[in-house]
Amino acid sequence: MNHWTDSLESDGEEEDSLVRPYTITRGRTAPQRDDLTLITVVTTVEPEEGRPAGRRLEPEHRAIVEQCREPAAVAEIAAELDLPVSVTKILIGDLVEFGAVTTRPPLADGRSGGLNVEILQAVRDGLQKL
Amino acid sequence: MGSRNSDATTGPLAVKILVAGGFGVGKTTMVGAVSEVAPLRTEEYLTEASVGVDDTGGLAEKTTTTVALDFGRITVNPELVVYLFGTPGQERFWFMWNDLVNGALGAVVLVDTRRLDVSFASIDFFESRGIPFVVGVNCFHGRCDRTEQEVRDALDLDPGVPLLMGDVRRSEAGRDLLVALIDLLMARSVAVREPAG
Repeated sequence: MNHWTDSLESDGEEEDSLVRPYTITRGRTAPQRDDLTLITVVTTVEPEEGRPAGRRLEPEHRAIVEQCREPAAVAEIAAELDLPVSVTKILIGDLVEFGAVTTRPPLADGRSGGLNVEILQAVRDGLQKL
Repeated sequence: MGSRNSDATTGPLAVKILVAGGFGVGKTTMVGAVSEVAPLRTEEYLTEASVGVDDTGGLAEKTTTTVALDFGRITVNPELVVYLFGTPGQERFWFMWNDLVNGALGAVVLVDTRRLDVSFASIDFFESRGIPFVVGVNCFHGRCDRTEQEVRDALDLDPGVPLLMGDVRRSEAGRDLLVALIDLLMARSVAVREPAG
């Protein structure tokens, strides 16, 4: 199988650990999207009948699509891929662009004090069951 | 598996709570005790501009460090998931990890009575950022050698900050801390809606 990194492996030496993950992103070090957070939930869009899916996908992309058939947070995807969060975000950004996944942003934070009481109550009820 | 429900593509709403405190206070232990999955580990590259070391002629050297954190999850219902993030040990790095801090409902700061000082930085951080937090005194083996008031005094804790004593290896202790945090957030939400006249 022809993989795009094949041509990069010239000397076979171990790449520096900071460099290797970015070969997966083709050298990109910053996500195109800045709206992805650690707990943005990613869900795979099941392709429509007859539509060719995944032609431009790398193995890491495919792994994300597979994992997110059950919705997963960015942090969970990074943990599963064993890649840094920032690298994972770049790959998820690609998939959003391809229309292969959808994302759901997290709830706003509690600093303004204006949190939704119904959601807090639901969290409280859920915790009480622990 | 094989769901044909095309409306179910947005996923649940996620919320985040931080579990902080100094090195070795039991952060990962607490996350593991209340999480429905074994704690997961993820890492991030953080770049720190080294400043304040003499005069470097305006040049700030940048250092990139890999920071790891452990986290867990509690599925409240199919529409709502709570993620618990144990903050990394190196405080000066996670304090500037905006993605970790931003959007947190609040925090649980764990303290160890034998080494209260290792949790000072976390308490200062949440106070200065205005992030609601509760304090958990981790009493290993169920024994605490200090009273609640002694710990409050030593930490110079605002009277409005809830403080609970417990052994965070027990899920009940972690649960009680999280519920106390939610109660604090709910009280604040109500206070915002009904401003004092």
